[in-house]
Amino acid sequence: MAEAVGTWLGAFLTLCIFSFLYRDNPFFRFAESLFAGISLGYYIGIVSNNTLGPNLFQPLFTDFSGRAHLLIPMLLGLNLYTRYLPKIAWLSRISLAVYIAYYVGINMVQKLQGEVVPQVGQTIMNPIGGTYTPIDNLIIIVGVLAVLVYFYFSIEHKGVMGPVSRLGIWFLMLGFGAAFGYTVMGRVSLLIGRMNYLFLETVNATVAVF
Amino acid sequence: MQLERLANIDRRVVYLLIAIGTTLPILLPIGFAVSTTPPVENLYHKIEGCGTDDVVMISFDYGPTTAPECTPMAEAVMRHCFSRGVKVIVLALFPIGGVTMAGETVENISAEYPHLRYGEDYVFLGYKDGAQATMKQMGVAFSGVFPRDQMGTALEELPLMQRVRNYENVSLIVSIATNVIGEWWANLVNAQFGTPVAVGCTAVSAPKYYAFLDTGQMLGLLGGLKGASEYERLILDGYPELRRIYNRTGVYNAMKGMDAQTVDHAIIMIFILFGNIVYFLIRRRDRRLGTA
Amino acid sequence: MFWKLRLPLALTFFVGLVPIVTFFLTERVFGVSFVRDRVEQYMVIIAGFALLLGVVNVVQGNVRKIERRRPGWPFAISLLTGLFVMGTFGLLSAFRVGPFQGILSAPDGSDTPFYWMTRSLFNPLQAAMFSLLAFYIASAAFRAFRVRNIEASILMVAAFVVMLGRTPLGEYVFGWIPGGHRWLPTFTEWIMAVPNTAAQRGIIIGAALGAAALSLRVILGIERSHLGVKGKS
Repeated sequence: MAEAVGTWLGAFLTLCIFSFLYRDNPFFRFAESLFAGISLGYYIGIVSNNTLGPNLFQPLFTDFSGRAHLLIPMLLGLNLYTRYLPKIAWLSRISLAVYIAYYVGINMVQKLQGEVVPQVGQTIMNPIGGTYTPIDNLIIIVGVLAVLVYFYFSIEHKGVMGPVSRLGIWFLMLGFGAAFGYTVMGRVSLLIGRMNYLFLETVNATVAVF
Repeated sequence: MQLERLANIDRRVVYLLIAIGTTLPILLPIGFAVSTTPPVENLYHKIEGCGTDDVVMISFDYGPTTAPECTPMAEAVMRHCFSRGVKVIVLALFPIGGVTMAGETVENISAEYPHLRYGEDYVFLGYKDGAQATMKQMGVAFSGVFPRDQMGTALEELPLMQRVRNYENVSLIVSIATNVIGEWWANLVNAQFGTPVAVGCTAVSAPKYYAFLDTGQMLGLLGGLKGASEYERLILDGYPELRRIYNRTGVYNAMKGMDAQTVDHAIIMIFILFGNIVYFLIRRRDRRLGTA
Repeated sequence: MFWKLRLPLALTFFVGLVPIVTFFLTERVFGVSFVRDRVEQYMVIIAGFALLLGVVNVVQGNVRKIERRRPGWPFAISLLTGLFVMGTFGLLSAFRVGPFQGILSAPDGSDTPFYWMTRSLFNPLQAAMFSLLAFYIASAAFRAFRVRNIEASILMVAAFVVMLGRTPLGEYVFGWIPGGHRWLPTFTEWIMAVPNTAAQRGIIIGAALGAAALSLRVILGIERSHLGVKGKS
């Protein structure tokens, strides 16, 4: 019964959201505000259960002397919240500096070693060989170079640069067209899931109750 | 004026047609056949090559927003692994609903294989914050970031996790992703640790991931609902006993979803063509009248 | 000045170097693995605190809205109610109090209160909000997708090929020709694997170089916006 009530509630809220398609109304605004509140409450639940509990508080309570060093991330994390106290808001910069700097450092290595090097390496290839035909390999090499020329805005796109950057735009349009097709597929899939929920799952739950 | 009215049809008419085009195939299934593509086949063959000593890690990096595309992928991959006796480690790195999607899928799929034992054949580590920091630390030791599994059991008490310490003991990572976390498995974990990675992603991300597929950073790619339906097709062809699950009436799967997908694509293409035809007719009329 | 700016900048530099230096130095260099592991474990915990920063902001803003009876203030009540109920369930689940045995199913297979709210409220609301995009993309495609020049034509042709080729419909387009049912799906796969890959690769290289340059600027203290300070020109 609880599951059926939950399904009916979900169906009601789904219809509240869909009512916006006709026009803005209090049902939609209620569902929208509930959505925002529930989402933040969900964050509290998963962070406390999955990260702060097992990785911080449980080790500290069970073996404080051996895990006292965990006070460092705890203090740095709590320090983030000083931004909401105007007189000591500057303290939060210390935690922000540590947090953002680490991910910026990871990002730099990730982008260069994980993206630039492999992508450039795969482009600098012998066109004759590999899984694609020589023509396909040439298309990829020419396409990548043309797109990179288009994105180079430090030189005016005139002379030789003009037609090459034009070719780059055409490659980009091909890519964006493919992306649009996939985006349509992605968005429609989300609606398919909701309609399945409204017309099949809700009906199944109701039938199961009666 | 009539042409202008055609070009400015009330958007609610469009909404209604899309709603009808989505709902009718759900209520009256058409049963379109699904053909497969190499990026999906690559992942299938990789898992086909795995045995009972191999471990596949499935990362749930998506939430309820993309569940209609991603959950069928996750279920199909998990069923494939369980059907072959491959060991599975499940985790979630997406904060907006990842652990819930993972928990539901593990619960539903493990119930279909009652002979499998938790802790020996599969483990659910749960969700962890930190994304890239978590991924990097798992390259050293899973227990460094997951001291306990989702149920609160210490990792050293689980038989599977006693022999699987880090990525070196994992044969394949499959990330079912809705955003950048999918590509982080490729450009961070595969790049720095060399572990094979395959990604099942929402259709919006799929075009970009073809570049990672080409460099070998991803060995397989399931793109959107189509990718999910292809994988379902492959496991049905390879494991006919799964037909009893996929043929259940009233239960959603990707192959059934493709019916509605096809109809909606046709509607949207017709609308685009119609809009452009009206646009060209307006332009031609304006040129004739000299008002262009 | 030291505590408010110089110390954060110094921390940015040294902490930012940790993932870079530990990537290049091997395990045999003393202290590398210790520093790397500790920092990574600490970042997971700090990330947990960071994720909840928005909660304080939202509570402050909505309480103010209710106090001052700003337009739409009744909806702020529903927002705060949802937040506090779900958040309380989540915290009680962390302490395993009474029926609150975790955030997923209870050991006996029944739904815990937090899980019930997730499945009944959180999941449907999330999914419904994003499913509206299907309607919007159809409407936008009808109203705005106009073939005005060569580039738009290329975009439309590519979009149509993918939308047809990625559905079973693509097999019927040339299915009346013997062997023709695979033409469009194969051509679609070629578009994705060759010209699309070339375009995406160019974008990835450009964006990655830009991101790496920005990361370097942050580490060196040239870019200071993350500290709420204007950067050096």
